[in-house]
Amino acid sequence: MASGRDVRDMLGLPAAGGDAPKAAGAAGTAAQAQQKRPKPAGGSRKIQGVAREVAALYGERPPPVAVYEEKKAYRAKRQSTGPAKKWIQQPFTNPARADGLVLKHWRRKPTTAPPVQESEDAPMEEGDNTETFLESCADYAKYDIKVDMPGFTDEEYDKYLRSDDWSREETDYLFEVVRDYSYRWAVIWDRYGFEPQRQLAPENANGDDQALAAMPFAPSKKRTLEDLKARFYDISAKLMKQRIPEVNMDADQYSTYEMLTKFDPVMERNRKMLATALINRTMDEVKEEEFLLTELQRINMAANRLDAEREELRARLDAPPQNQQVSAGLQAFTSSQALHALFQQLFQQDRSKKRATGGGSVPGRLSLSANDMVHTPGSAQQQLSAANRRQSLAQNQQPAAQTPVRSLSPHQEHRFNVSTHERLTSGVTFGSDRLLKMRQAKSNVQTGKISQMLAALGVADVVPIPTSKVGEVFEQLVAKVSRLLDVRKVREKEEGECKVLLAMKERRNGSGGGEERQAKSEVPDSQETPDIDVDGENEEDEDDVNKNYGDDAEGEADDNDNDNDADNPEDDAEGEEDEGGFNVEDPDDDGDVDAEGEDESSKQQSRATSQGVTTAQGHKRSASVFSQGSAQSSKRARQ
Amino acid sequence: MNIPNASTAPAAGEYAGDEVSAIVLDPGYTTVRAGFAGEDVPKSVCPSFYGQTASGPYLFGENAIHAPVGGLDIKNYWGSDGIVEDWDTAAKLWEYAITSRLTGARPSDPARNGLNEGNDANGNGEAMDVDMDALEQNEKPLEDNPLLVTEPGWNSAKAREKYIEIAMEDWGTPAFFLQKTGVLAAFAAGKSSGIIIDVGASHTSVTPVLDGMVLRKGVQKSPLAGNFVSDQIRTSFKQSSPEIPLTPHYMIKSKTPVDAGTPAQAVYKTFPDPPTPSFRANEEERVLTEFKESVVEVWPGPGRFTTPTNEELAKSMPGRPFEMPDGWNQVFGMERFRVAEGLFDASAALPSDTFPTPPKPDHTIPRLVQAAVQQVDADQRPLLLSNIVVTGGSTLLYKFNERLNYEINAIYPSTRNKLIAPGSVVERKYAAWIGGSILASLGSFHQLWISRKEYEEHGAGIVEKRCR
Repeated sequence: MASGRDVRDMLGLPAAGGDAPKAAGAAGTAAQAQQKRPKPAGGSRKIQGVAREVAALYGERPPPVAVYEEKKAYRAKRQSTGPAKKWIQQPFTNPARADGLVLKHWRRKPTTAPPVQESEDAPMEEGDNTETFLESCADYAKYDIKVDMPGFTDEEYDKYLRSDDWSREETDYLFEVVRDYSYRWAVIWDRYGFEPQRQLAPENANGDDQALAAMPFAPSKKRTLEDLKARFYDISAKLMKQRIPEVNMDADQYSTYEMLTKFDPVMERNRKMLATALINRTMDEVKEEEFLLTELQRINMAANRLDAEREELRARLDAPPQNQQVSAGLQAFTSSQALHALFQQLFQQDRSKKRATGGGSVPGRLSLSANDMVHTPGSAQQQLSAANRRQSLAQNQQPAAQTPVRSLSPHQEHRFNVSTHERLTSGVTFGSDRLLKMRQAKSNVQTGKISQMLAALGVADVVPIPTSKVGEVFEQLVAKVSRLLDVRKVREKEEGECKVLLAMKERRNGSGGGEERQAKSEVPDSQETPDIDVDGENEEDEDDVNKNYGDDAEGEADDNDNDNDADNPEDDAEGEEDEGGFNVEDPDDDGDVDAEGEDESSKQQSRATSQGVTTAQGHKRSASVFSQGSAQSSKRARQ
Repeated sequence: MNIPNASTAPAAGEYAGDEVSAIVLDPGYTTVRAGFAGEDVPKSVCPSFYGQTASGPYLFGENAIHAPVGGLDIKNYWGSDGIVEDWDTAAKLWEYAITSRLTGARPSDPARNGLNEGNDANGNGEAMDVDMDALEQNEKPLEDNPLLVTEPGWNSAKAREKYIEIAMEDWGTPAFFLQKTGVLAAFAAGKSSGIIIDVGASHTSVTPVLDGMVLRKGVQKSPLAGNFVSDQIRTSFKQSSPEIPLTPHYMIKSKTPVDAGTPAQAVYKTFPDPPTPSFRANEEERVLTEFKESVVEVWPGPGRFTTPTNEELAKSMPGRPFEMPDGWNQVFGMERFRVAEGLFDASAALPSDTFPTPPKPDHTIPRLVQAAVQQVDADQRPLLLSNIVVTGGSTLLYKFNERLNYEINAIYPSTRNKLIAPGSVVERKYAAWIGGSILASLGSFHQLWISRKEYEEHGAGIVEKRCR
């Protein structure tokens, strides 16, 4: 009894009438009571060891969310609805075939007949069905593709397409082959084998030779792929032109036409020869190319890096950024509409200005057009700045024009000691302060050297009457001195290096043990010896410099004199002359050191930075294989 | 939810397959492969060798040709140039391959099977005669099945016509198609263009294929293939001292294990009617096949095997043991490299007087590939070289592909060369059949068949026009 109920419960059947009476049999009331009882009993069954609140959750209520994992869905159970479906070998025709070939494939048997009849005499029925029904299976007819081919009539051929090289027969054969192989030129060329005799052979089998000789074209010419293509494209292009005149072609057609006419067999042949050569390269050549390519890549990378570095350097050197606003503004005035708007604006301003300045005197026609039309087309920049500052300019110009400015000649300027300045610093400074400031360098050593040098030149510690002229000249002098000091420092360094290199070279050359030892003993000395040498040189150098500066000092003295006179314009020239002398002398001094000489050419740059640049260049060059003449610098870089 | 299972038809556009129960026949030098299109392995693989007794009928099939019967000549219908020579036997053997496993023997028609004797007595013999004419057609073995046959790339036009004649006249197939093995092997590898290197038993062929069409000028073949390697092994056995005996299985009754290199101690069978030499040769070939499968190794490169350094290297490599059917056994060292080297380096081949043509340098596989590529338009060469399909039973020689790869890369270092060699043995050996199986089961192939009607209309010459 109980087990029967369980089973029903499991199957999800309603625990209703059908079975119960059979099972229970006797007592109807008892059975009813039992049927009623199990449900509440199941629901309120006491669950042991669980809190009451938790137990309350085990209700009959469904869970709030239906959890359904799609992933876990099992394959749909095979539906066994009725007997197995029948399959038959269905005969069918393919509409792409002209000959109506009947093939058979397996298809579900169409279930038209009622099942009763089927069970009666199945074999007969099937036989009938297959005989009568012939399917037309067009699923694959779409794969029956024919290529588009240009066609021509005899007339057209005679008129346009004749060729000395190609007979009519061969042309027809070419078209046939192209159609057969659907423009696969490699295959066409592979299979192409036109034999003129083929058509003629039956007619005159015995007199073959004569027939061949009589033919106007060479028999079975060896055609290259380019020949075939050239002929075919040529005909195609001509026919295309006949069908559609060039002017009526649309873009696609014209591009096709152009492609057809532009085919150049010679170029094509050369291209193929190159391609063949490329394929037939030897292993060594391939390796070499690979090597070169990697080198190129590396060089490119290095160049990119260098560019990036330069860019960064430029950014650091605080190059003024492009005025975004101005360029943006320029962009805004490129269109004619914008220009017109601008013109209107200017026009308005001009008019209001004229009105403000008592425009009565000026007639209706304004100067604006004359002024601005000149500026408008060419110098947009100028015009723009004018536009930007229009207001202030318009106001400032007028008073400027009113106050008389006397322009002085340079001589007069000098004489009256009138100077014009870009901008003036506020406050008052002593000229002697400025001179004193110039003596100061960044480091104490440098300051000391400068003062030493100045002392040697005979310039007093305190320059009497430090006029602005004197200040200028003094400034030039100090600049030269510091430059000279820089040069000397670099030279010392270079010479020291030369010594070391020489010592190394000697050591390398001298294979003997003794010499080696000597070289070895020299090496630690090299710290000293070059120093001594350099010192000597320096002294010599200094002498030269002294000589130079003797001149300079004279110049200076002149200057001073001139200043005192305060009327001699020659002093500028003198100073320049000095400068020239300095420039000329210097290379002479340092001519013995090669690297120095090289560096000397870039004298304008400060010594230290130029040195840095050369070494940097050395690095870059050593990276590149192609650059030459960098042996020295690269050696240095390696050092 | 319609989940495909055994009882539902595949979706229409799923693989463009539409099987028409076509039969694919792929005859080769050692075996003839036949099976239904759409399957992945040929159901019927039957040796191309057949037995012929002095008087009796032809004997086909494995069981027949390996039974040591006196006076049984073992022959092969293939000619030395890789084209079918003995057409009558070939047709019979192919028919055997098809009917023995695929279509089954046709039930003999009711008029003659002795069950309907009574009808004649009833006196409507007239009607029966008419029926018999119709039934005559039914007796042909391939009445219901279209047939796709493979042919070597260098087949002559005459031979091709012979194929369709046999299929249409003798077998009564409703539709027929002939396709070259190279194209089909490419299809089996999933390529429509490529170079197919097929190293079979009798011939090695290299076939450039472009868009499913053989480039005829590029087709190369050479006799340096499996049989050549077998011959090299024989020569190597003879040259070694003491000579290595080659005793086939059928002669051994029992054997006792012996030490390596010592003479065999076996009890031999005695035959009252001894089998013919051709039978013995065929049985020896089976032993050599085993030897090729288990011992022979192709020198994988770099460089040729015959350079002194490589030979030294080969000497230092561990050998491979092999035991003959009679118990004689030996560990084979560098000889195992030597016998296959001739495929790649003609000068390394052992001089043999039994092999019909001495190997020429032009016949080695690298040279064949080179010659084939040379005959192809320059634009297509890189495409072809990036699809090199390797097929044929002899390519299963150990390290064959490594060597081939090395050789091709040595010839064409600047192109991207890619070998496509299926790993499974079946796919390598039966690539052409599998390609045929794919092709003939395609729905789009329906329009390519040469139908009986077309054949009757145009004659056998149609095969040249349609199957190119």
